[in-house]
Amino acid sequence: MKKSKLSHFLIFMAPALVLIVTFVIYPSLRTIFTSFLDENGKFSLKNYVEVLKSRDTFDPEGFSRGFPLGTLLHNLIWIAIHLPLTISLGLILAVILRKVKGGNILKSIIFLGMVMPMIVGGVMVRFMFDGSVGVVNGFLRIFGIEGKTWTAYPDTALFSLIFGSVWLWTGFSMVLYSAGLETIPKDFYEAAAIDGATPLKIFFKITIPLLKPVTVVVTIMTLLWELKIFDIVYVATMGGPGGASNVLALQMYTYAFRELNYGKASVVAVILTVSTLLASIPLTKSAGELR
Amino acid sequence: MRKFIVVSLLILSVLLISKTLTVIGPWAGAEEEKFLPVLKAFEEKTGIKVEYRIYRAEDLANLLPAQFSAGKTPGDVIFMWGWFILDQAKKGHVMEVSDIISEKDYLPGVLNAVKLNGKLYGAAYTGKVKPGFWYRKSFFKKYNLKVPSTWDEFVDLLEKIKKIPGIKAPIASGNGVGWPLSDVTEHFIITFAGPNVHKDLIEGNIKWESHTVRYAFEKLVSLLKKGYFGEPTEWTMALKQWWNGDYGLYFMGSWITGMVDDPDDLGVFALPGAKGVVFGADYAFVPKYTKYPEEAKKLLAFLCGAEGQKYQVQQGGHIATNKLVPLDAYPPVDREVAKIIVKMEALTDLDDSVGGAFQTAFWDQLKLLWVKPDRLDDVLRVLDEKMK
Amino acid sequence: MKRKRYLIMNLIAWLIGLVWLVPFIGVLMTAIRPLDELLHGWWNFESVHFTFRNFSASWNHPTAPLSKGIINSLKVAVPSTVFPIIIATMAGYYFSRYRFPLKKFLFTIIILTLALPQQMIAVPVFQMLSSMGLIDSYIGLILLHTAWGLPWITFFMRNFFVTIPVSIEEAARIDGASDFKIFLKIILPLSLPALGSAAALQFNWVWSDFFLALITIYSPDKLLATQRVPLMRGVYHVDWGLLSAAAITVMIVPILVYIFLQKYYVRGMIGWAMK
Repeated sequence: MKKSKLSHFLIFMAPALVLIVTFVIYPSLRTIFTSFLDENGKFSLKNYVEVLKSRDTFDPEGFSRGFPLGTLLHNLIWIAIHLPLTISLGLILAVILRKVKGGNILKSIIFLGMVMPMIVGGVMVRFMFDGSVGVVNGFLRIFGIEGKTWTAYPDTALFSLIFGSVWLWTGFSMVLYSAGLETIPKDFYEAAAIDGATPLKIFFKITIPLLKPVTVVVTIMTLLWELKIFDIVYVATMGGPGGASNVLALQMYTYAFRELNYGKASVVAVILTVSTLLASIPLTKSAGELR
Repeated sequence: MRKFIVVSLLILSVLLISKTLTVIGPWAGAEEEKFLPVLKAFEEKTGIKVEYRIYRAEDLANLLPAQFSAGKTPGDVIFMWGWFILDQAKKGHVMEVSDIISEKDYLPGVLNAVKLNGKLYGAAYTGKVKPGFWYRKSFFKKYNLKVPSTWDEFVDLLEKIKKIPGIKAPIASGNGVGWPLSDVTEHFIITFAGPNVHKDLIEGNIKWESHTVRYAFEKLVSLLKKGYFGEPTEWTMALKQWWNGDYGLYFMGSWITGMVDDPDDLGVFALPGAKGVVFGADYAFVPKYTKYPEEAKKLLAFLCGAEGQKYQVQQGGHIATNKLVPLDAYPPVDREVAKIIVKMEALTDLDDSVGGAFQTAFWDQLKLLWVKPDRLDDVLRVLDEKMK
Repeated sequence: MKRKRYLIMNLIAWLIGLVWLVPFIGVLMTAIRPLDELLHGWWNFESVHFTFRNFSASWNHPTAPLSKGIINSLKVAVPSTVFPIIIATMAGYYFSRYRFPLKKFLFTIIILTLALPQQMIAVPVFQMLSSMGLIDSYIGLILLHTAWGLPWITFFMRNFFVTIPVSIEEAARIDGASDFKIFLKIILPLSLPALGSAAALQFNWVWSDFFLALITIYSPDKLLATQRVPLMRGVYHVDWGLLSAAAITVMIVPILVYIFLQKYYVRGMIGWAMK
């Protein structure tokens, strides 16, 4: 490691630092600052109280009468369903498609969901669950069940979006697990097979533990994605009906750019950021090792 | 001396030529094509060039405040929601126009949306009326249906339509951002709670949960519960399906006359007993930061005066707010609508007048009410909350 | 026994593949057939007519033409890929080779910003760009995307450079080459695969962005491709055929990038995620 010279520092690092400070660091600090200001510009916790008490954020009555439950719970539910599903599906698909003819083509098809812009993903999810032209209803009709537009009803809106997002995101975990699987030496499997272990046992006792680093990364990246979800909800339901599918990021946008209430918007942004920072602590720890 | 005169004439003409006014409005496509001739008429009359730029109202709501506080404006005459104009007027960004607009020329009450402390800060242009339920005359003829004159006859009509084979539901429900649903809802409020309550709701003088408002909603909910309304569908798709016979009635605004293949087949009726009708007038204002205040005011006076409005209604699909526009300027179908409102009180669109966060919440709550009519109490409570 | 298992696995795999593929087929069908045939579901093949009307309608849509949208998105995505790659590669190289005061602090800050949601900078950035007169301008948006891409690309390239042995540079240094020359002539050529990956990912990311465009670009003719999609569903005349054609058109660019740069793309995702 060499010692730096000022001239070098300026050429190599300055542009990056200037841009990051101007457009990322400073605005973030401004947002935190704004969240603590009331309308007279004085320090106050009013915004936090308003947002956290608001039914937009947390609506316990939803438990008795049905959705909405508030953005906090909506994002949590999203995580609770989406995370285990995409991780397990991705892993299973990675394992199965390794040995299958044309597996690579299939992997590419599944991965397409990740490649497309999420705004288009949202259109596709809305489309899938549509009452007349949606594929989900077409499928149900085979069993004689008559469907409806799932995204238009409060009790099913959020779930339609979540399952649609599983379809979109599974490709990510699948690709990472595929790469991870390649790194497991073949001798491990051979040795286990000689010892008489069944494929299932091998899967659970060897494969999964060895893939732990991948699992950590997939989990964190997926968590971040679930917390920040915006495009899909915006175009498919706009958080409705009646706020039944609202999420934190959309709530922030509504407060800032529809209600023009920057104080409340900043609070939601801060809440979001705290959640994402918490979720990425393991990543920070491992990546923070410097040589 | 002569050189001086020539040069100054040249400079003057260059100045005159380079004076271009910018008008900002939300109309695009076919609607834009109908608006441009009005601007052209102004150009021909005064020699001042006018340029038209399109911006959606919701985008302007984000953009303009920032520009105005920096002392800038993207347009000389801007069309926006009434509540927004008043909001900006309170902040001192809007030019007063009481000297060029006289209230008595306009339909009573229509200028209230842009009046502050007795002074006018904007003017009303033409608008679209939301008269009632549209039907195809051929459809009614085919199934021997009649326009109802009482509430009971209306419900009977719905029941009859429901029984027709192939019908999805008697009334089509338009969806999208949400306004087709709010238009129907307001019609019920006006009919069963009355025009004054409608005005009070806008002012915030009465609660949504009050007895009178609730009564109007319950009438609506009674129809929702019986399945007389279809599931909310993208409103242009709903229009197609209604025209094809999947639905019998469709509550829409007068712009529908420009959207169907055969406008002569259109018929419309209001809910029996309705004494008011929502007149969605477009409003325009002149920002203080315009470079050409005198010309901009001239343009505003032309557009929103009888002349400009006459040119607009002649194109069809618009109804004038200016009383001096003669009935024969309208194409036949629009004339029917114009006649309806002559007898009724013209009211402003509720959610457009309140605006802001309430509007989006209103639409969102109605989408909920449509699929879950039993949640009426909840919906009314949220509406009261959002009005604060 | 083994053969049977193999067949079953293949069957399951292809069934899953089909399930995943069905929504795409649906969108394709809706895009290339007239709406009237689809009112009861695109899987009905009673009357089948293929038409490209939806594509041309969305391409030339009166209020939100995709033709303009695609060009606009390119105008933003290309600079927003080139600039951050150049700037971040230099910074990443510096992190990998040099000591300097506050190095650990700066690096931690960079990692922390990776977790930030765009909502955290939205309002201040909107106000900043507004006062600079850069709202509704691509320059503002490109600056934003460049700044937003810098942290992850720096991190990514730094991790890559760490894998290049210093000895390669030592030889050149002994010969008297300056640091900058070493960077240009030795390091960069070796980094092409990593640069390719970073470029593929960043391009895709910027192309797909919606939120930043939503808060900065407003003029109808300046709207990016991603912004036009919800417009087609919102206020204006909309039907599923049109919307599907629009979705496909907007999807094609990143998919093409993916197909051609697939190797780099996937390697990029893996390399970026795992050290």
